[in-house]
Amino acid sequence: MFRAFGWQDLIPLAKGAWLTIQLCAVSGILGIFFGLILGLARTSPSRIARWISTIYIFCIRGIPILVIIFFIFFGIPLLFPGMELDKFAAAVIALTVFAAAYVAEIVRGSIEAIPKGQSEAAEALGLDYWRKLRYVVLPQAMKIMVPPGVGFLIGLVKDSSLVTVTGFIELTQAGNIVTNLTGDPIKTFLVVAAMYFIICYGISRLGRLYERRTGIHINALKLPEPAGL
Amino acid sequence: MALYFGDLLPFSSLFLEGLWTAVYITLIAMLAGSAIGVLLYLGKAGARRALRLLCTGYIEVIRNTPLLVQLYLIYFALPAVGINLGPVWAAAIGLTLNNAAYTAEIYRAGFESVPYGLREAGKALGMKPAQIVRYIVILPATRNVFPALTNQLILLFLASSIGSIISLPELTNATMTVSNTTYRTIEALTVGGLLYLAVSAVLALASKRAETTLFRWAVSGHV
Repeated sequence: MFRAFGWQDLIPLAKGAWLTIQLCAVSGILGIFFGLILGLARTSPSRIARWISTIYIFCIRGIPILVIIFFIFFGIPLLFPGMELDKFAAAVIALTVFAAAYVAEIVRGSIEAIPKGQSEAAEALGLDYWRKLRYVVLPQAMKIMVPPGVGFLIGLVKDSSLVTVTGFIELTQAGNIVTNLTGDPIKTFLVVAAMYFIICYGISRLGRLYERRTGIHINALKLPEPAGL
Repeated sequence: MALYFGDLLPFSSLFLEGLWTAVYITLIAMLAGSAIGVLLYLGKAGARRALRLLCTGYIEVIRNTPLLVQLYLIYFALPAVGINLGPVWAAAIGLTLNNAAYTAEIYRAGFESVPYGLREAGKALGMKPAQIVRYIVILPATRNVFPALTNQLILLFLASSIGSIISLPELTNATMTVSNTTYRTIEALTVGGLLYLAVSAVLALASKRAETTLFRWAVSGHV
């Protein structure tokens, strides 16, 4: 009943890898957008904004992403009856909800790493809060956000494998399907692992290139750890 | 729709058993993983080229592939070569092997954070080699890696939820069982999520406390 694992099985796996990349690109961009807002709120002078973002970050970082995925995938249709979410959208929402909290921590860490004198000098020059951010703090913070951001992207690619529980056919789910066809989990999942490795290692190589160009290095001890295992 | 948590009450022991499984799998993986992590770090930093390449390769492969795929390989692929592991063993081994690679990198960062000049200063002060290793290498490095290690413990605890996919009866698995039996999906996920949140908050607080009491002798800031 099983056929042997062969070259033709690489096609569905490659398609799964492409969907994984698409999923991570969309939720990564959305996560960076919302994470930037949350991170700015976390360091803002407004107490309410600080509270809301602190609670959000605390909750999301204290709950496994798998539980968040289950919550979005099973919970949204219950909370909003009649709302039809396709699997890609549900996966994007779950990964974005999760990613935003981690990006926010990176943003906060980077903003706090900028010496206080910079911000005081901007105030002394009469810049208002938004101009201070726009012209003084963020341009410097952006540079040190990149190395931990690379770690975050790698974590996102790895965590996207958990979307497999919803049945969305990304790389890991494609591996499950090929396993059911060929009955050969060893070869299939070694290929799946190799594909993840190529994606993640490629991202980390790009990060190293950035580090070499700019001379900015990841401070593994002070900045937040890359998300996900 | 109305939320009703009363239906979950008969399942409170299932939740707690799941939580306990998650906690002990995490503890096993943390203890065994950080011990293997030391060996990996020593191999990677050591003088033997073959060993160095092997350890570096292992660390890079583990850190660049998802834990879920690693668990699949252990749980579904090993039986094909005659090694049958139950979900508990598969999850414990998978999390341990995964954790070892991450802790090895944490140790590396910690030891590299102690400047070489400090060791030379120790030598100039007439300290014996054993004293230098103890007071100038191991103690400051431990203090520097401690926050990263406790952070890793929390990440590992949250990652133990992935064990539910290979049917490890831990908290996420219990949560989904309750959800499927009672049809109280949102309520079950809320309770499960809050239990995770409570444990990770306790772990975070406890490690902050431990940090200040264990390293009270230390001068503030990283050395």
